[in-house]
Amino acid sequence: MTGDAPLSRPPMGTLAFWCWAAAFTGVVYLAGRWVTNDYVFFAGYIVLQYVLLATAWNILGGYAGYVNFGTAAFFAIGAYISTALNKWLGLPLPVLILAGAAVCGLIGLLMGGLTLKLQGVFFSIATLALAIVTQALITNWEYVGGAAGAYVIRPSRGPLGGSYVEYLFYTMLLLATLAVCIARTVERSAAGYGLAAIRDDEAAAEAAGVPTMKLKVATTVLSGALMGAAGAPLPFFVTYLDPPSAFNLAVAVNTIAMPLVGGTATWIGPVIGAVLLSIVQEAAMVTISSAVNLLLVGLIMIGFITLAPNGIMGLLRGRRR
Amino acid sequence: MSLAISRRAALAASAGTMLFPGTDLRAQGANPITIGCGLSLTGALASTAKSVLLSAQIFVEDINAKGGVLGRPVQLIHYDDQSNPANAPRIYTKLIDVDKVDLVVTSGTNLTTPAMPVVMERNRLLMATLALAVNDKFKYPRFFQTMPYGPHGAEAISAGFFNAAMGIDPKPKTVALVGADAEFSKTAVSGARDQVKKHGLKIVYDRTYPPPTVDFGPIIRGIAASSPDIVYIGSYPIDTAGMIRSARELGFKPQMFGGGMVGTQVGGIKADLGEALNDVVSYELYVPAMADKLPLVEPMLKRYQPRAAEAGVDQLGFYVPPQIYATFEILAQAVQGTGGTDQDKLTNFIRATTFKTLYGDMAFGPDGEWREPRMLHVQYRGLKGQGLEQFKRPDAHVILDPPVWKTGDLRAPFAGGKS
Repeated sequence: MTGDAPLSRPPMGTLAFWCWAAAFTGVVYLAGRWVTNDYVFFAGYIVLQYVLLATAWNILGGYAGYVNFGTAAFFAIGAYISTALNKWLGLPLPVLILAGAAVCGLIGLLMGGLTLKLQGVFFSIATLALAIVTQALITNWEYVGGAAGAYVIRPSRGPLGGSYVEYLFYTMLLLATLAVCIARTVERSAAGYGLAAIRDDEAAAEAAGVPTMKLKVATTVLSGALMGAAGAPLPFFVTYLDPPSAFNLAVAVNTIAMPLVGGTATWIGPVIGAVLLSIVQEAAMVTISSAVNLLLVGLIMIGFITLAPNGIMGLLRGRRR
Repeated sequence: MSLAISRRAALAASAGTMLFPGTDLRAQGANPITIGCGLSLTGALASTAKSVLLSAQIFVEDINAKGGVLGRPVQLIHYDDQSNPANAPRIYTKLIDVDKVDLVVTSGTNLTTPAMPVVMERNRLLMATLALAVNDKFKYPRFFQTMPYGPHGAEAISAGFFNAAMGIDPKPKTVALVGADAEFSKTAVSGARDQVKKHGLKIVYDRTYPPPTVDFGPIIRGIAASSPDIVYIGSYPIDTAGMIRSARELGFKPQMFGGGMVGTQVGGIKADLGEALNDVVSYELYVPAMADKLPLVEPMLKRYQPRAAEAGVDQLGFYVPPQIYATFEILAQAVQGTGGTDQDKLTNFIRATTFKTLYGDMAFGPDGEWREPRMLHVQYRGLKGQGLEQFKRPDAHVILDPPVWKTGDLRAPFAGGKS
């Protein structure tokens, strides 16, 4: 994973990329208006949720090489902030997403400040501890149901017309697109080069004048905020939120596996990994067996780590050479 | 009748099994009546869900052997939700929108709740099993539930325990409440607090413990230090075994010990705890002492038990199989009675009918729950060593409550078993 040079840069500039991404979102939105089967939106939501999570994870884990095992904590905090504010003030979903992102960004700032002096496995253990501590706190937060969980009754119709699940799908589409655009912008910016330098050799990067600590903290804030945004719509998607489902192991495992499978050095790697793995898992759930789901993820991860450590994008780059 | 199967048919069947393992191909035929359900076949709830699946499969085999319903075979379509509520919405969407199932069955509280909006948005009938007080929030008129909690779910888990406790002479005055920091146990202990108020008892210990707890000695010591007359515990299988063992090891002997202890209903835990269960009071859904009044249950269990042993699931089958079989019986009777699967007609039929099932007569109230609760509170008696067979004796479970099913009085203090 470390030591990768970014793939050959696409010629497209950042502004053009954002425009293309907006156009893509618009096309998917228009195509979605023709879909009458809600299952497509349910399955699509999960795929997009993982695109968002994998991209968010990759900003810190892929670009800077700091492996975060605390994805589930940020995701769950976003979900619980959304649940609490919905119960308290009944705010609209976009505001809940912003609130979830803001709180998770703040937690990223605190966590980054406290733990980013630790490197390698020590940082990863600290993020794992965050997930455990957060789960214990939320399990005892009675306002959002504590261990018993919280019910969220969602409206049957979305504000855009169509079902509320359709609205959730478009919201997640927007968030995932935004995350990918942000990730690509970071990757191609001076900060992206700084992060790549940190990933390759942090001491050398520091010696070369890269503000390593500032960059790492800023990246943790950004990554955490995006993960929080991914969790915020979850209560409306599930309609029932309890700690075991919010802190589900599959979220943490998938979020790490997807960038590893797609390739961690570029923005497209997590997208490819997320789409591929989540579709495989969804197909496995309704055809073979769910028991095979995580086994598949594990086998694919082992396969890529041993045979293609730079993921699918690494394989493609090797072929081009 | 020839039993020979052509090679092509065998290949097609094999391919079908590989592609759609959640469908019972043997039941397929012209225009089958399809019943869709999400089951937690993997994850924390897997052992119960596998028992649910086996019971449902036995029903489907039975009904198809009799020619199906309205001359149509019954087909079960199920998907594994991995014990994760987040998977339930899309599983039920697929079942209804893609698989176009005729009837929807859910299993478990946390897995039924996320299915509710999907079902409600499509105006479908929902038959829930093993779900606690889900419809209290939704108030959906097409919801029915076959777990015998009755209209006051949280109360039903503890009411029988306290009714039995108040029969102790002299009456108990103090109570200790303890439960895992998790959904079911918190609901159970919350219901117990209401019972404490109702019976004028004094709480001398009221704590929760984190679900990963493995050492229950300190908890039992803490309870013992407060000297309660009775102890009510809301626990999950591992905690249940840990609490009972710790109480035995420490020689703790209150007047009454037990509560809403998940696990005491299941063969594996019963067999493992064996005589340590003596005098413990817990809830059950069916016990052999009911066999005289429910004569169809034992023959069904006789067929279930060997298959359960093969499948590695609860080998006694007292907990869910009778209830699950009855759930499917109700659906079949409703389809037969209304002449189809029109959801309006089915709802009205189920609401208006008292169903004769192997699990007894079942009638539903306005909230879709049993009109009258039938949660059993039993005291385990006469157990020696370890082993499963002794639990098949009618006197191994003495029913304390409800009064109509009562087979004996509470034995106090809590003293039996090996200390």
